[in-house]
Formats: sequence, structure tokens, C-alpha cells
Amino acid sequence: MTFGYVFKKLIKNPIAFIGLLLLLGFIIMAVWAPVFAPVPENARDPYMIPRDGFSAVPVPPNEDHILGTTEGQYDIFYGIIWGSRTAFRIGVVITLFTTLMGIMVGSVAAYYGGWIDEVLMRITEIFQTFPFLLTAITLTSVLQAVYGRGEAGALIYSAKILAFLTFGHSLAEKINPIQLTILTGMISIIMFGWMTIARVTRGNILTVKNYEYAIAAETIGAKNLRILFRHLMPNAIFPVLVIASMNIGSYVLTFAALSFLGLGAQRGYADWGQMISFARNWIPSLAEYSHIVIYPGMAILLFVLAWNLVGDALRDILDPRMRGTK
Amino acid sequence: MTNYIIRRVMIIPILMAGISMLIFAMLSLLTPYERAALYVTDIPKRQGAIEGIIEKYGLDDPIYVQYWRWMVGQKDEDTGEVTGGVLRGDLGWSKVGKSTVAEVIARRLPATAELAIWSAIPLIGLAVWMGIKAAVNHDKFVDQILRLAAIAGWSIPTFVFGLLLLLKFYSDLDLFPPGRLSIGMNEFIQSDAFIQYTKLHTLDALLNLRFDVFKDAIRHLVLPVVTLSVVSWAFLLRVTRSSMLDTLRQDYITTARAKGLPESKVISRHAVPNALIPVITVGGLTLIGLFNGVVITETIFNIKGIGSFLAQAAVALDVVSVLGLTLFSSMILIVGNLVVDVLYSIVDPRIRLD
Repeated sequence: MTFGYVFKKLIKNPIAFIGLLLLLGFIIMAVWAPVFAPVPENARDPYMIPRDGFSAVPVPPNEDHILGTTEGQYDIFYGIIWGSRTAFRIGVVITLFTTLMGIMVGSVAAYYGGWIDEVLMRITEIFQTFPFLLTAITLTSVLQAVYGRGEAGALIYSAKILAFLTFGHSLAEKINPIQLTILTGMISIIMFGWMTIARVTRGNILTVKNYEYAIAAETIGAKNLRILFRHLMPNAIFPVLVIASMNIGSYVLTFAALSFLGLGAQRGYADWGQMISFARNWIPSLAEYSHIVIYPGMAILLFVLAWNLVGDALRDILDPRMRGTK
Repeated sequence: MTNYIIRRVMIIPILMAGISMLIFAMLSLLTPYERAALYVTDIPKRQGAIEGIIEKYGLDDPIYVQYWRWMVGQKDEDTGEVTGGVLRGDLGWSKVGKSTVAEVIARRLPATAELAIWSAIPLIGLAVWMGIKAAVNHDKFVDQILRLAAIAGWSIPTFVFGLLLLLKFYSDLDLFPPGRLSIGMNEFIQSDAFIQYTKLHTLDALLNLRFDVFKDAIRHLVLPVVTLSVVSWAFLLRVTRSSMLDTLRQDYITTARAKGLPESKVISRHAVPNALIPVITVGGLTLIGLFNGVVITETIFNIKGIGSFLAQAAVALDVVSVLGLTLFSSMILIVGNLVVDVLYSIVDPRIRLD
């Protein structure tokens, strides 16, 4: 099973093809964001949506704002375009970390077995008992309380590393308070998002562990870590990476929910969930201001849908029981 | 069988201990001052009073001492009164709820329970039925449509879906309003003419034989129930479909067909009962899904339940409330999962042997 084989199968599957097209669209949107939605000259941060006045009442689509403005006159079109960058950044960085954590826990548990396996899997189980969104909300509020004091020690460093990877923020600088709330949300999702990967990695390594080449490597006296990284990992990792890519959609969804509740991105930041949170104040008159839900909502839906369409097809391709059937 | 159940029950204390440690680890990130809310309802503003509280409740003691005190409570030397103690049901003081966390839970649980019960029951039936339909018509039009619908339902954010429903059915058509009851009805059920047995409005209405109240409660439940179910519906449909596809490939199905059974009998007698076995396991996961959805759904539809309270407390950084609620919901989930596992072992004899 190589990358080329999987890709060919993906292109042939109409559902996956739609997903790939959508993803391509979002990538174009994110890469050329300054072309689609030019940053106003006096803007301090391109990720803060430009405002056209301060009136609270949303304005429906018109000549100046092709998708209208939401409460506080934030331009919806600008927010959607730049929000695609936020979505990719958040999704990719979270996935990177959860995948690494999952692979580490899963491979150590599977390779060493015995009580190490037992302990690690019990811990995984405990983490899995929590409802994902609930814990993300919980940990975010704890972290925001802690960071709010500004004396968080080791926690500040973890936020800085994340800030470096997500925003290209220098490690020496102080973290921008606007980005800090986003980072706390990301940390929470990472802390409670690694378990599936750990379980799948463990399962896969347990399977390849008993193949002849692994036993052969052990017989010639290869060291534990060498067997793990040179012989087992490369053969067990591919399905794990596929699952990881499927997770991006669900992480973005969770982050959007945090923003919607007021815990993720701050007011006015180019983030889809944050943009929709304004709609909470306009529920009785939503029919009149439908644009404040529909456009940003479509952006999230299509983004997550794209990943899920590709992921669904990938699972069918990779599931050995499905191979050979139509 | 009994062995298996005993083994499952014995894991529960381990899980609960692990969860409580994790929650306490998060609590310990707070300052002693913030943690005082675990024990006292009102922090005096006088100079030096805070230090007194920190000392009295040992809020800067070693972490394991504090963990133990958090679990079993703190005994006052002078009055002999015990405060705190998760095991005694004391989860601390909620700043946002202006009462103890336990009282908040007691007050808000009925609304959440009503929403969850109404969501879970139709959800399971519908999803399983559609999943079977999709599998039986594998790769045909019905299957493709249901599959696409499931992926879409899985991808749509709960809050977008809920807001879209409100947009159409409340703001535009004014059919299904948010909240739990209309204002007039709400006043009526508080009056002496209406006895609140369970605080679940629909059930109480039936017990009081007040069908107008029942109708009003249902009218308010339709949208939140649909919103809450859609993600779990998509998930269950997918699981049922793939499990059914698996079963249909088994040899005993071929045998059943070969001996001349009509296809409908093959499906209903031989395939479905076996295909449903794995579906029961994910019942537990669906429960978790409902818990996630409750926070968003209650917030959007202005239902004063546990989920919307959690969201409020989190935004106000009332960490003691948030962690108390999380602990409480995890405990419910553990018990729920146990029930699912036991059911599973009753249905599937293979499980008991390992």
C-alpha cells in the first residue's frame, strides 16, 4: 500500500474526489487570502477583521460588503477568507501534536507490553471517558484562568512552542494576548485528542510485531528502540497517518465550538466559530439577518465535510476486508 | 457471565480514581485563593482573612494531602462540622450559580435529562433502521444518499445546525420557539394547580393529565432534540451500516439463502440480530456524543440545564463549577458505559469467554 495507490483510488471515488476538490478550494483561499480580501492599509493585524463603523445591527450583503457585515460591522467576506488560514493552522498543528503523542503512547504500550501496556491503556481509557468537548471547555477555562495571572511557568513555554508553530511567533517574544486564548483552546484539544491515535497505533504494532521480519530482527540482537523505529513503525504507521488526517475536521469543529461559546478566538478575530457566535444575540430576528449564520456556517461545514469525505473514502480503501469487494 | 460483570464493576473504582485525579490536577493549577471556593461560600474581604482561609483549609499543603482532603472533606476542629469532600457529594461553591455546585446540578438536571431522553430514544431506532436499509441496498441509490446524509450530519457543527433550525422554524415560521415552555405555561406549572413530580415537564404534564402543557413542552423540545440527535444519528447509522455489511458477507447468510429462505427472512432473522451486536457497544459512545452536544444545544435554545450552565461558568472562568460538573458527567458516563457493557455481554456470548 503506497501513497500512489491510495491517491489513484481516491481520485476514482466520486465522493472522495468532491472532498479533494473542496480541500483544494480552501487551500487556494488560504494561500491567496491577501489577494481575495486585501488587508486595509492601517491594519495592525491582518487576522483582525476590518470594521466599517461600530453599529451593533448587522447589515445584509451590499455593494461594499458582498456577504454583509455582522454585529459590530465586521466584514463577513474578509472573515471567511482569512478564517480559512486560521482553520488550517489550528487543524494542522493540533493534528501534529495529537498524532505524535498518540504514536508515542501507542507504540510504547504495544512494544513493551506487560504492565507498561496495562498502565498506558488504563490512562488512555480514563482520558477517553471524558466527553471531548466538555473537557476541552473545562481545560480551556482552567488554562485561561491560569494564563490570566501571567505567572504560569512551564505552561507558558508550552504555549510559546505552540505559538511558534501556529503563528510563526518568535520564542523570545511575549505572546500576543489575542493569540493566547486561541492557544489555550488548542492545548486543551491536544490534551484530550490523542487517544484514538494511541489505540490504533498500538493495534497496528501488535499485528506487525509477530511478523517474521520483526522476530528476525530480534533474533539477530537488534535493540528495542531500533526494532521499534526501523522495523515496526514504518509498517504500522500508514493507516495511523490516514486517521490523523481525518481528525483535522473534527479538531476544527471542536475549536469552532469553543470559539462559539466565547472561549476560543477573541471577538473580531478571523475565525469562523467566533463570527457565528454573534448570531446568539439575534435569534428572534435571524430570518432577517440570515447572512450572519449562513455564510460562516457554510465555511465550517464545507471545510469539515471535505476532510470527512476524503477520510471516509480512505477508510474504505484501507480496510482490508473491503478490498476486493466493490 | 457473573464473573464478567464483577470484573467490569471492579474496574469502575480505578477509573473513578483516575478521573478524580485528573480533575484535581487541573484544580491544582489554580491559586490557593481560587481554590478556597472548594470549601467556603463567601471569601471575606478583610485584610488577612484570605491567609486565614488558606491556612485553615491547608490550601498550600502538599498536593496528595490536598487531594485526600478534597475527596473526603475537611473537619473543623472547633465545631466538628465537615466541609467539602467529593465523596460526600460536596463539589464546592459555584460563583456563577450562587449556590453549591451540587445544588446547581440538582436544579438543572431535569431540563438536561428531559432533553437527553427525548433525543436518545427516537435517535437509536431511526439510525439503526436507516443503517440496515443502507447496507441491504449496498452501493445502490438509497445507500449513496444515506451515506452522504450521514457524512453531512457528521460534518455540520451542532451550533450551525441549531441556529439554522431556529432561523427557519422560529424566526421565520414561528412554529417552534426556544426555551422549555411558553411564559404563560411556565407560570401555570409553578402554581398549586400543577404538581411537579419529576420536573420533567412532558412527564409531569401527562401525570397531571394536562395535555395543553404536554403539547407546549413538546413544541419547545422539537428543535433541540433534532439538533442534539443529528451527530449521534450520523454516527450510529454509519456503524450499523458497516456492521450489517460485514454480517451479510458471512457464510451462514449464504447458507440461509442456499436453503431457500426468502431474502426478507434472511435479513430479519439471521442478519439483523447479529449485525446489531456491535451497535450496542457504540451506544456508550453515542452517550458521550450526547453529552458534548448538550452544552451547545442548551446554549442556543436557551434551556437552563447542566450544559448551558457549564458554558456560562467556563466563560466566567468559574473553574470550580466547571470541574465539578465535568466530574459529575464523567461519573454518569462511567455508569452508562457499564450498563452498555453488561448488555453487550448478555447479547454476545463470545465476550464473556475472554
